[in-house]
Amino acid sequence: MSALIFTLKNQPKFTLDAAPLTPENLEGKTLTQIKNLKIIYGNKTSKLDTLFTVEGTDSSQIIIENSTDKLINAGQAMTKGSLTINGDAGDFLGQGMKNGTLTVIGNTGSWTGNAMSGGRININGNAGDYVGAGLPGDAFGMSNGLINIKGNAGDRVGDRMRRGIIIIQGKSGNYCGSRIHAGTIIVLDKVGKLPGEGMRRGTIILAKKPTHLSATFKSCGNLKMQFLRLLFTQLASIDDELSLFNKYGPEAHRFSGDLARNGKGELLILQHYK
Amino acid sequence: MKINGVQIDDTFAEAFPMKATRIIITAMTLKWAYRAANAIRGFASSVIACGIEADIERELKPSETPDGRPGISVMIFAMSMKDLEKHVATRVGQSVMTTATTACYSGLDSEQKVSMGKSLRFFGDGFQISKVVNKRRFWRIPVMHGEFIVEETAGVTKAIGGGNFLVLAKTARHGLAACEKAVEEIQKVPGVITAFPGGVVGSGSKVGSKYKFLTASTNEAYCPTLKGQVKSELSDEIGSVLEIVIDGLDEESINEAMRLGIKAACSFGPAKGICRISAGNYGGNLGPHLFHLRKLLK
Repeated sequence: MSALIFTLKNQPKFTLDAAPLTPENLEGKTLTQIKNLKIIYGNKTSKLDTLFTVEGTDSSQIIIENSTDKLINAGQAMTKGSLTINGDAGDFLGQGMKNGTLTVIGNTGSWTGNAMSGGRININGNAGDYVGAGLPGDAFGMSNGLINIKGNAGDRVGDRMRRGIIIIQGKSGNYCGSRIHAGTIIVLDKVGKLPGEGMRRGTIILAKKPTHLSATFKSCGNLKMQFLRLLFTQLASIDDELSLFNKYGPEAHRFSGDLARNGKGELLILQHYK
Repeated sequence: MKINGVQIDDTFAEAFPMKATRIIITAMTLKWAYRAANAIRGFASSVIACGIEADIERELKPSETPDGRPGISVMIFAMSMKDLEKHVATRVGQSVMTTATTACYSGLDSEQKVSMGKSLRFFGDGFQISKVVNKRRFWRIPVMHGEFIVEETAGVTKAIGGGNFLVLAKTARHGLAACEKAVEEIQKVPGVITAFPGGVVGSGSKVGSKYKFLTASTNEAYCPTLKGQVKSELSDEIGSVLEIVIDGLDEESINEAMRLGIKAACSFGPAKGICRISAGNYGGNLGPHLFHLRKLLK
């Protein structure tokens, strides 16, 4: 069976809700049924085949071609299979995702992985603000799963996240890991101002020393963290994309905080590469 | 049937269903992983009085362990989930967590699980941290040497305990030499352990006793000193009987371990004091797993 490929016919002028294009939603549907699906484009509902050409049969592997940042909600509530987006994606990528793999070859908008509770999101480019964060009014952000961003991420990565792992191989914006309840955020390049502001628990691992660290983080000194050894070994064993963690060692400067919130979280600033 | 001049009795070993788990102990060096592993398998020779049977399965290379450090794989067998639950948490807490630089992980992926970190985390007194990595939950317990990392649970699987054979020799010295070689061979089989000290039982037992409070007592039919006193299974030339008991994850691995062990013992032959190979059973009435010696050696 060949992958189910949706190719955008034209560059959309308005936001296009790609939420229906998930493996579980298309499972068991014929090509004709898929082409007749209703999809929200701007403030109207359109037939899917007026916007996309569709080919292929395997609904467990979906590919969207010619994608742009107008394509929002891609992979929403996805529970299985894979969705690959060739091009950029808009806001709310993988919102409420529960399982499966979502890959974006380009950049994504804000709120990537919002309320995600499982699965994996790979972004080859950059991501906007609030990666893995909770929406205003939500108690928590992402509650499980793994987000791997090869480029940079915006501000407030993982805001209020509850569980899961966010890896940013590039730079991260300000307030990285703000108000996190638990979970792990790893930033392998520079990080913006005040990482971990208001964090309660959880771990923020920084490969480079932040320029601005809140005074409410207390130094625990340079330590060999057995946890880092386990984490990096486990991450590197997941697949080749994460094998880069083989080069990181367990030595880190540990800061605990945020003491302003009676926090038991930790900022680990890596000291040495292997 | 004879192998290298050693008589193989037409009998069978009788084994029982058990529950088993495998844990992986890592440490800064293999030496310290061994210290923890040896502590956890101490006083774990038989379920009769120890509650569990445990032994080192094998050494693990850093590439085979969850944290990339040298490690030891230990297998623990018990008669029930309840026994396993009780002893695994206690022993990991007292034997592994107390050993400097160690960490403890599950070595079996299975639906059924017993607690490890789930119970031990409370030692962290509120400073413990839970981490889910690669779909496995670990607990980080701050301890004086740094951090003790323990997986929340260990997988449990159905297993078989009590595969065995008896080495009937002229003297204890002859028997022990053959048994040591047999245990060496058995250790090459994955998924099996020989839980008794050195893998050899010097005081094999029968079920029951003349004393009501005892569930097991000496197997007088195989005691050389009682040859003239009871209905003995021993001929004149036999002066010592040693038993090797094997627990394993399945019938195939126990079969293979028994086959390799018996062949290794027989390689000594009558010239080196090995006279007969037999096995312990209860007439086939108690255990559902029967390992016929002649059948497995064919």
